[in-house]
This record gives sequence, C-alpha cells and structure tokens, in this order.
Amino acid sequence: MTESTLFLITFILYIAAALFYLGYLFTKKEGAAKTGLSIALIGFIIHTLALVWRTIESGHAPFTNMYESLSFLAWSGVLAYIIIEYKYKIRKAGPYLMLIVIGIMALASSPLMPKEASPLVPALQSYWLWLHVSVTLLGEAFFAVAFVTSIMYLVADSREKKGISKQGAISSEKLDSISYRCVAVGFPLFTLGGLVFGMVWAYKAWGSYWSWDPKEVWSLITWFVFALYLHTRIVMGWKGRRSAIIAILGFLAALFTYFGVNYLLAGLHSYA
Amino acid sequence: MKSIIDFFSSVKLAIFLIIILTLASIVGTLIPQMRGAEEYAARYGQLSELLIRLEFTELYHSWWFIAFLFLFALNILICTLTRLSPKLRRTFNPNLEFKTETLLASKIQERFEKSRTLPESETELKKTLRSLHFQVKEHRKAGEIHLLARKKILGIFGSDIVHLGLLVILIGGIISGFGGFRTNINISEGETVPILDADFKLKLDKFETEYHPNGSVKDWISTLTIIEGESPRLTKTIEVNHPLSYKGHVFYQSSYGWDWQNPLLEIWAIETSDPSSSKKTYLRLGEKENWEEENLEFTAVRFIPDFIIDGNQPRTRSLNPNNPAVFIEVFRGGERISSGWIFSKFPDFSQMHSGEESNFKFELKDIQAAQYSGIQMSRDPGVNFIWLGCAFMMLGLFMAFYWPPRDIRFILAETEEGKTEIVSAGRSIKSKLTLESEFNRVMTSLRSSK
Repeated sequence: MTESTLFLITFILYIAAALFYLGYLFTKKEGAAKTGLSIALIGFIIHTLALVWRTIESGHAPFTNMYESLSFLAWSGVLAYIIIEYKYKIRKAGPYLMLIVIGIMALASSPLMPKEASPLVPALQSYWLWLHVSVTLLGEAFFAVAFVTSIMYLVADSREKKGISKQGAISSEKLDSISYRCVAVGFPLFTLGGLVFGMVWAYKAWGSYWSWDPKEVWSLITWFVFALYLHTRIVMGWKGRRSAIIAILGFLAALFTYFGVNYLLAGLHSYA
Repeated sequence: MKSIIDFFSSVKLAIFLIIILTLASIVGTLIPQMRGAEEYAARYGQLSELLIRLEFTELYHSWWFIAFLFLFALNILICTLTRLSPKLRRTFNPNLEFKTETLLASKIQERFEKSRTLPESETELKKTLRSLHFQVKEHRKAGEIHLLARKKILGIFGSDIVHLGLLVILIGGIISGFGGFRTNINISEGETVPILDADFKLKLDKFETEYHPNGSVKDWISTLTIIEGESPRLTKTIEVNHPLSYKGHVFYQSSYGWDWQNPLLEIWAIETSDPSSSKKTYLRLGEKENWEEENLEFTAVRFIPDFIIDGNQPRTRSLNPNNPAVFIEVFRGGERISSGWIFSKFPDFSQMHSGEESNFKFELKDIQAAQYSGIQMSRDPGVNFIWLGCAFMMLGLFMAFYWPPRDIRFILAETEEGKTEIVSAGRSIKSKLTLESEFNRVMTSLRSSK
C-alpha cells in the first residue's frame, strides 16, 4: 500500500460516486444520489489518508508541486461540496461537482505532472506553506461550488422563463442563494489565505509583502471580481443572472491564478 | 462641494474603479514589466514607444494607476463615511415609532390577536425574546408598546471595518513606496560592511550551505553580527524564511555565490610520457609556478566558472561553477611556448596551442573560491500598517459574513378588554433563513399560549 495506491482508489471511488450521481440525474431515484454521496464520503476519507500518508512520507505539506496541490484542491472541492450538501441538500449539484473533481484528479494523475516528492527548496520550508496554501485552496473550493451552482442557476433560470423547468428541479432562487452562501464562505477564506497569509509569508521570505508578481496580481484580480459580486449584490441589489455571471468569472480568475499564471506568465511564484 | 461628495460616495463609481483596476492589472500581467527598451522594441515594434510613454511597462507604478488607486481610496473613504452616521443612529438611537402599515408591508410579518392583557403579553414576549438572545429596546405610549428585538447588531459595521482596513493598507503601501528601500549586499565570511542610512555595521561570521541527500540545496545559513561603534550588539543566524530584524532594518537570506575574482586553483602539470612525474600545485591567478624537471614556468591567467564560447569569445554563462576553465600560459626561458584553456570537467578536451611538440599537459583538478552570502536588506516603515489593515479587514469580513444582524419589530396594542393585538415584522439582509426560523419560533411560542 502506498500513497499512489490510495490516490488511485480515491480516484476510482470519485468516478463511481459521479456515476451514481449521474444515474440519479437520469432516473430521479433518491437512492442513487444517496449511494453517490456515501461513496464520495468514503473516497474523501481515503483521500484524506492519502494526503496524510504523503505528508508523513515526504516530511512536508502535501501541496508543494502541481500534482500535490491538484490533489489537495480536489480534496477541498469534495469537502466544500459535502459541507454545502449537508447544509442545503442540493443533490443535483453533486454530479457536476464530482465531474470537476474527477477532472482535477485526472489532471493530477496525468503523466505531465511529476509525482515524486522532491525535497523542498529553501523558500518553501516554512509553516506558512501550510497556512497560505491550504486556506487559499479551501476558499477556492467554495468558489468552485459557487461556479457550479451559478451555472445551474443560469440553466434553471432560462428553463423557468421558458416554462419548461422539470418537476423536482431546484428553484433558481435557491441556487442563487446557495451561490451567495458559497461566496460568503469562500471570500473571507480566500482573503485570509491568499492575500493576508500570502503577504505575511512574502514579507518573511522575500523581504517584501507585495511585489506585483503575476500570481499576486491575479489573486488580487480574483479578489476584485468577488468584491464586485458582493457590492453589486448587497448594495445595488443585483441578483440572479448578473450575479451568477460575475461568480463564474470570479472562479475562472481563481482558476487562472492557479494554473494559467504558472504556465503562461513568469514570476517569483514558480513552485505550484 | 456637495456634488463632489455625491460623486465620491456613489457605489457606481466604486464599481467602475474596481473594473478599471482589474482590467489594468490584467494588462500589467500580459505586458512584461520593467524590462529594457530594446526588449519592448523587439516585442512590440512601433507600439513600444507608446507603451513606454503611457507607462504600461511599469504599470503598477505609473502615475495613472496610482491616480486610480487614489480615487479608489477616496471613494472608499467617502462611501464609508456618508453611510456611517445613519448606521450609527440606527444602531444606538433607533427609531422606535413603528407604523402598523410599514410592518405589514414587510416580507416576514404577522398580525394576530392574543387573549391576554397588554402587560401579560409583553412579559411573555420579552421572555421568549431573551431566551433566543435578542436584545430588546422599547417605547411605550398610551395603550401601545413598541419593541425592537435585535441580534448581532454590530454586524452592520463589518463592511465599514473592511473598508477601514483597506484604507490602512493603502496608507501602508504609500509609506512603503516612499519611505522604504531595498538593497542587496554580497558579503563574504569575515567581512564587515557599513549599512546605508544606519549607525551600525553588519559582519558575516559564517556562511554555510546545507544540502538534501539528493544534492539539491536545503538551506543557506548566515551567522550575522550587528556591530555598533566598535562593539558587537547582536549575533543571529539567519536562513531563508528566518530574517534578522534590527532597528527597522530587516536582513534576509536571499542568495549566495562565489567570489570568482581570486579562486585557488589546483593544477596538475603532467609529463605525458611518464605520468608518475607530475607536479601538483595550488595557484592563484597571476602567480607563476616553476617546473624544474621540465625547465618550465606556467601561470594561470584567467578563470571562467561556467565556460561558453559566445561569438568566438569565451565568457561565463552563469556565476555557478558548471564548467570551470582556466587559461594557462607556459614559458621556457622567458619565452611563451604554449597557452590555452583547460577544463576541469573535460580533462581530455584541453587544447594547448604551442609552437613545438610538447610532452606535457595540464589538468584543472579543483577550484576553491570564497562563498559569499547574498543578503537582502530592506527597511519598510509601512509594513506595520499593512498588518494592522489586514487585521481590520479580516475582523470586518468576519463580522460582515458571520455576524449577521437581524431584528424583529413589534407593536403590541390593547384592543378590547384583556386582548392584545400583536403586529410583528422581521428584517435581515444577510440571514433571512435564520431570521425566518427565529421569527417563527417567537410566533409559535406566542400563539401556543393564546
């Protein structure tokens, strides 16, 4: 038994969970969704074990390269989904979210991602690595859920307007409110982990809390987009369609901060 | 004046500025920043001059980006201030004169009659509200009691505290920008350097590099001593992520390197026909060594740590000893008979150009150079404002999202003998669901004792 075996088992369980969820979408049998959730939960537990295993084996936090941080992002996504599911019972978001999680897991296991745990470069040897990365990714996981529910909102809304929404569908209003809830959880987490902890660590390691490095700028952009979401919503009373579009853009900005910057723009943040 | 304030207090301006700052920031990550004019010319051709003139090439420090940031700060400040005084009044001195029609126009509202007297109903209602941790304010008039039950009132100041935090951060940024400076110091073991604008000196006692088992660098460790006047004040070991802070100056371990000006070279002179009779020497650049057996003199003229031929000229590719090479000159009787580069990594590749057939060769066996420690020094008087601002921002965000204020307004009125009419309405912007369930609990409890 190794970390990669555990990772593989997790991957298979997530796929199984997604299949059950998809079955639920088509057959509308509650049982399928419940089974899906249970399998996802078991997958999540094994995933947690895999992360712990990796930490013990490598002796450092399990997010120091792309493979590790993708795996951790998938884990955070499942965690965020379980929390939201527990609170708001939105079974229908399950299949879409699991598909995103599977996509991330597939990316992590692609041969392009070096898997071996390499020793840490000096700049990463700090407990701020734990604080900065885990809190940021957790925040982004909630943005991911908001992304899914916002897309579902757009679909539900256009169906309702055309009068073709199916029975038992989640109302667009509820989706809109869940999206807001997710942003309300994700935004403080992202601010704390991405910006505040990031600045503290940058100050400790590089001697400057802000260097206008592309990754820093893109997390600021992400933050601006969600600030826009909150202000248009709370002060100007925007809801529904326009809010959903801003939340979608915000998650795309977060995604670009996470991937795009590494591959397309050069900078200080050349780890993961 | 009023129109200026109106302009700056509008949320639309805030949204416009956020969009502008976002777009500008994106552009700044697409155009490489702070490069040389030639690079821009090569990349953007004719456009490069315009980009440089409009400061798109150092966008985040450009006058127009800073002007937008300044407008943004002013906007935040005025927006927050204009909204603050009504909020303070609503919180600490709320209007308790409710109108039945207003309450009934709310989304969450109820009106019913209770077969209890007014004082009985009031006592019962207050008890229920207290058990749900509501704070109650009251206003009495003839035959009527107005109650305002509130929870987590301070939550409405969350956004103001976030804004305050942002302003403090922006102020900190300005102070850092004008009052801070950074510089790199390369310092060798045993060396003492004066610190600019400070009354102390910095000495490097010891510098070490630690390696992982696979050979990659684990850490750089410098032992530094602060010397004030003639006496040492403080000695501290710094490493990456663990700087030394003294009188507002912070010293970071940032890099390392070798002093290639004066390396100690181990050179073996080998007799090709009889390799056992060779001469092992340690040379510094410019020193001459006598090889009596061969009646020769040789000297090391030039050293290159990472040899590469670039346009027919040898130069170094980096400051790391990836391909060390030394240029040797050989003399016999004062006349140069041979010269050329020898490479430590490629002993057989060494090519000596000589006028005559030679029976000797040279090998570069080892190079020793003093390592220096690269220390970044920074003085940043704005940094404490940044941390203070961050603390405000997080406190404010917590209050805004997890301390949702809500209230229920009641009008209790005596209708006929022993009966009380209760009109109530609940209000909450951020936690409608919780409020609704609390509202229902209050109402159920009131009705159960109808």
